[in-house]
Amino acid sequence: MSSGEPLLRVKDLVKHFSIDRGVMLRRNVGAVRAVDGIEFDVMRGETFGIVGESGSGKSTTARLIARLLDPTAGEVRFAGRDITALRGESLKPVRRELQMVFQDPYSSLNPRRTVGSIVAEPLVIHRVQADRAARKRAVQELLETVGLNPEHCNRYPHEFSGGQRQRVGIARALALGPKLLIADEPVSALDVSIQAQVLNLLRDLQRRLGLTMVFISHDLSVVRHMCDRIAVMHDGRIVEVASNEALYDAPRDPYTRELLAAVPGARRVRERTIPA
Amino acid sequence: MSPFDGADTPEATASPPPSAASPGAMRSASPDSGPAEESLLRVEDLRVTYATEDGTVQAVDGISYELGRGRTLGIVGESGSGKTVAALSVLGLTRAEGATVSGRVSFEGRDLLALEESELRAIRGDEIAMVFQDPLSSLHPMYRVGAQIVEAIRAHRDIAKAPARARAIELLELVGIPEPSVRVDSYPHELSGGQRQRAMIAMALSGDPKLLIADEPTTALDVTVQAQILALLSRLQRERGMALVLVTHDLGVVAEMADEIAVMYAGRIVEHAPAERLFAVPEHPYTWGLLRSIPTLDGPREELLTPIPGSPPSPLAPPSGCRFHPRCPYSEPEHARTDPALEPVPGRPDHEIACLLSSPTRRRLWKELA
Repeated sequence: MSSGEPLLRVKDLVKHFSIDRGVMLRRNVGAVRAVDGIEFDVMRGETFGIVGESGSGKSTTARLIARLLDPTAGEVRFAGRDITALRGESLKPVRRELQMVFQDPYSSLNPRRTVGSIVAEPLVIHRVQADRAARKRAVQELLETVGLNPEHCNRYPHEFSGGQRQRVGIARALALGPKLLIADEPVSALDVSIQAQVLNLLRDLQRRLGLTMVFISHDLSVVRHMCDRIAVMHDGRIVEVASNEALYDAPRDPYTRELLAAVPGARRVRERTIPA
Repeated sequence: MSPFDGADTPEATASPPPSAASPGAMRSASPDSGPAEESLLRVEDLRVTYATEDGTVQAVDGISYELGRGRTLGIVGESGSGKTVAALSVLGLTRAEGATVSGRVSFEGRDLLALEESELRAIRGDEIAMVFQDPLSSLHPMYRVGAQIVEAIRAHRDIAKAPARARAIELLELVGIPEPSVRVDSYPHELSGGQRQRAMIAMALSGDPKLLIADEPTTALDVTVQAQILALLSRLQRERGMALVLVTHDLGVVAEMADEIAVMYAGRIVEHAPAERLFAVPEHPYTWGLLRSIPTLDGPREELLTPIPGSPPSPLAPPSGCRFHPRCPYSEPEHARTDPALEPVPGRPDHEIACLLSSPTRRRLWKELA
């Protein structure tokens, strides 16, 4: 499924957050090395997982790739182009092709706007589908793509359940026909019975639309289910990058092994589920 | 067919059962169950409703369960299932919030719901203790951890400050906090998330409780820290013969910890069985849905998950009849009208289920699914 030149290349990426003290005389007293020199490629059509615990730098990495944060050093190349230094208007074309799905479907949707206008917003900002009727059709199609009733485009986010809201967030991310979808803990805020719906949807979309996906999660079982290759992050660094099979069947790094061993009862659930 | 009667596989019990009584004997509590000791906690037909601006919420709708000394009950459910209320009502913690509580909660024969607040306070934090999800919101940020444990000790015991402090250090050591004699003077924010949860557990142990109620105790923690805290809880429970009610959304956590599991849906217990049995021969379609919708570390990778259709119901407007019927792939028109009771599976008094399908039908369906 992956071939040729990678869609995304990350080289020596570093992000330090400075810690400032003092009110009148602010001074820098140090830095948190959130991302501390990481490197990976994401091939076209692939789902690349980044797994790690809190503070590992996985979400910062997502935001750096999506250019929502400026890196301290290093390079992000997207579709063969260095996008590290792009800002403002010059970043706009990149944003069309690189979209993000966030963890919390409650805070990432504007509660005062209808679902239709939330999904239409990227189309308006990027001036595609200027014609109102065409835009409405596009929005309805998007809602249908993510398994929502297109007639519900006049409803507000609070009228939807958590899983449906996450679908709205995905529809918005798909509006501009991106090549790369960055999903940062897309199911962590959802109830167990709903997670599977959203995971299946993401997998299905990825195949149907030929999307490339960076999938970020703390949940090793979910990452195993979703990803072709996986990077394990710890303290701002990548400790291991491996194919799905290699990572779970023969983890090399001690930290990866520690993570896998810590998953509560996951193996036992399976053992217990298989009738003798 | 071993899973059908295998309730006692060794690794099933993080803590070995303290008595010879099988969970079945414990739960039926009938005279013919022999000299099996009386259960520590018995909840009967507990109902909790809240009046809200939007209407009445029936958070818990007639649940019953029992727990023997030293045993672990896992209460599993999604948000809004009533699992937290089901556990906290035992302590009268739902009283203050304008809730209406009915039913019986007997702890060593005393009806906790009938007690005065002051009597309940003597039990709470002493014989029955609690650990919550977020230790930051349960520990006072302005007081040193040690001082808070000392306060907890002295709330229930008439001892001077110095020995209470020595006891606090002992408890911190017991829960695995390094350099306890230094850490006793730390403020909560100076501890890591895992250490704060350890400190909370130390405080909970200050009264040497017979029952610990832990509400999502590891949900806010990283997976490696979670594993440490679960191991700590198991060890403490084993050493102290303490019973544990573990409330969680995570089937993996109960698989690891619980002797028996109650699955809650929309304010009701829909299935209650020994842990081994629940995973081997679950009988409720909702339990099937939960088990089949979670990805595992060694299931087939290429398979799509099988989600439960729809969403959990609003507690403001629970469905009629069987509460799961709108999402159940096997529901029949009649299931929207008839409300199933929680009843034992034929021949298995320790396995209760609230489902309108017949037991043979359920077994056949699960065999087809699994």
